[in-house]
Amino acid sequence: MFLLEHDAKELLAANGVAVPAGTLIHDTEFDAAALPPGPWMIKAQIAAGGRGRAGLIRPATTGSELKSHLRAILGATHKGMTVRACRIESQVTGLEEAYLSFMLNPVAAGVRLTLAARGGVNIESLATTPGAIRGATVAPQLPALVAQAMILTAGLAPHLAQALHAAARELAGIFLTTELSLLEVNPLFVRPDGSWVAGDAKIVTDDNALFRQPWLVALLERRAAAYPEARRKQQHGCDYVVVDPNGEIGLLTTGAGLSMMLIDELRAAGLKPYNFLDVRTGGLRGDATRLVDVLGWIAAGSRVRVLLVNIFAGITDLGEFAQLLTEAFARTPQFKMPIVARLVGTRLEAAREFLATRNITVVTDLGAALVHVRRHLANT
Amino acid sequence: MINPRIDRDTRVIVQGITGRAGRMHARMMREYGTLIVGGVSPQAGVADVDGVPVFAACRDAVAATGATASVLLVGAGQLRGAIEDAVAAGIKLIVTPTEGMPVHDALAARRLTHEANVTWIGASTPGMAIPGVAKLGFLPEASLTPGALGLMSKSGTLSYEAGYRLAQHGVGTSVWVGVGGDTVKGTRFAELVPFYAADAQTKALLVIGEIGGNEEEEFAAALTAQHFAKPVFALIAGRSSPEGVTMGHAGALVHGGHGGYAAKKAVLEAAGVAVFVSLDAMTLGIGRTLGPR
Repeated sequence: MFLLEHDAKELLAANGVAVPAGTLIHDTEFDAAALPPGPWMIKAQIAAGGRGRAGLIRPATTGSELKSHLRAILGATHKGMTVRACRIESQVTGLEEAYLSFMLNPVAAGVRLTLAARGGVNIESLATTPGAIRGATVAPQLPALVAQAMILTAGLAPHLAQALHAAARELAGIFLTTELSLLEVNPLFVRPDGSWVAGDAKIVTDDNALFRQPWLVALLERRAAAYPEARRKQQHGCDYVVVDPNGEIGLLTTGAGLSMMLIDELRAAGLKPYNFLDVRTGGLRGDATRLVDVLGWIAAGSRVRVLLVNIFAGITDLGEFAQLLTEAFARTPQFKMPIVARLVGTRLEAAREFLATRNITVVTDLGAALVHVRRHLANT
Repeated sequence: MINPRIDRDTRVIVQGITGRAGRMHARMMREYGTLIVGGVSPQAGVADVDGVPVFAACRDAVAATGATASVLLVGAGQLRGAIEDAVAAGIKLIVTPTEGMPVHDALAARRLTHEANVTWIGASTPGMAIPGVAKLGFLPEASLTPGALGLMSKSGTLSYEAGYRLAQHGVGTSVWVGVGGDTVKGTRFAELVPFYAADAQTKALLVIGEIGGNEEEEFAAALTAQHFAKPVFALIAGRSSPEGVTMGHAGALVHGGHGGYAAKKAVLEAAGVAVFVSLDAMTLGIGRTLGPR
């Protein structure tokens, strides 16, 4: 998952990295005593790039300025995401800005280390200047990364080389032990004495490694509301994303690719799907609980008026699935909307019989299912 | 060169054969025609599963059976170790359907298999198949019809749906490889381009990709660099997915403008690939090229 900047900095700080003093604010009514020393930067906490250009990162020197910016930023939307919190941190001024990142190189099966003596918001424009951005992919091991940092910092001003080399050593250790997919620090503030501060942090963690990453598990527990998808996957074993809070069609689907494609096709047809779901029928193991949970989440969509079940069962026994689904409906009495089921796979007839007990029409053609969906939307 | 071609004489073992999935899929693969010669399980006292001999160590299974391919049905946390066992035992083709492999484990496994010149397909893959001949993994029979279309996919279910619809339109598949939806994987789309170019049974190629990463872009570059001469089609899922959220597959994450749909479509089209906006359009388009006359 993509960590919000605040949490990324908490992770770095927990590992001994210096970051600007900061606190997370959810509301314009906050405890002023909790603020770090001013002047401040107000930074919207959303998982999207381009915050600065969208006016979601602003400086403030007085308390009233801070409040008025907070009022403007909290609740603003950017790339479909609503800002629910801001990190308020002490401004860092007058220091040089470098760049350092680690990312996976899936082709070379290594870690790509990239650094630049001049970082900051215009890092992309440096790409055309020869030698400004230096990088190489090496084996995913600390000694290899540290040695590479030494090579890449050669020829830089001594304080910059010292800071980038020290930062590379520390951050490489964090990247490897926390099993990150991306760790980018930009700007990396460098003091004249060669010490450094992580001015920003972009971190992507590996959900699949959570079982051996206790710090991240604790973060998910503490900040469940900020990471609903990852939290849900950890707790329920399935992937669920609300793609449109105003969506009208709830989706009960299995398979990430097919679920994504269905959403694409529904949107292209002018329809409004509410959620993405990979329920993983293979993981139900005769227990309807996961389906009950999913129906509850979908029922919470205020504008959802019809449920489309789309299961292409490679291996799953559709009869068994339909039986569980029928049980789940029985356990979810608040779920009253019409249901259209499109099923393909083994034991389709058994599935039809189970679903007929709840007056659910089963079709095998997706186009036909959409005709039913449209009819229900027109009638409600 | 990566070569996923198998036949009815390819000797296959199943690591994790005594587990629920291992037992079931060993049986289903055998029923399809795959020559399953053995299984591996640390569980003591199990001599066989449905008549397939079970060995305590991968090395013993390979020594006793002469297996060259292995399907690994073990937990995500055990996957890296099981791949290391298979490579050490001399297995040349490894298929790992398990979902949820930690990405740093996958990085290590990819380094290992490449250095050992072993083909690793996965993780998080439904597997691969030569329709009508044999399969390694989960691919459902309803979607497998012999034919001339090479098929590669990140997603399992979307490829099942595509294969099923194409089969209904008289289009069958030559060699089907599910590369899986993980960020770091054993075999990438681009790495299969030389194989499909040389494969005489493959007359055209369908790639089923999705948002996130740069595999589709890399695939397009490989087509151009290697002057791939057969028709190529693509379906890319996730064009309306939100940024910054992982859509089920670990690899399906768009952030900061990377991995988006529009860029993938543009580079694929520039490489001469026909990119379809829907399953229906795909079925019709491929049917026109490969379907019955």
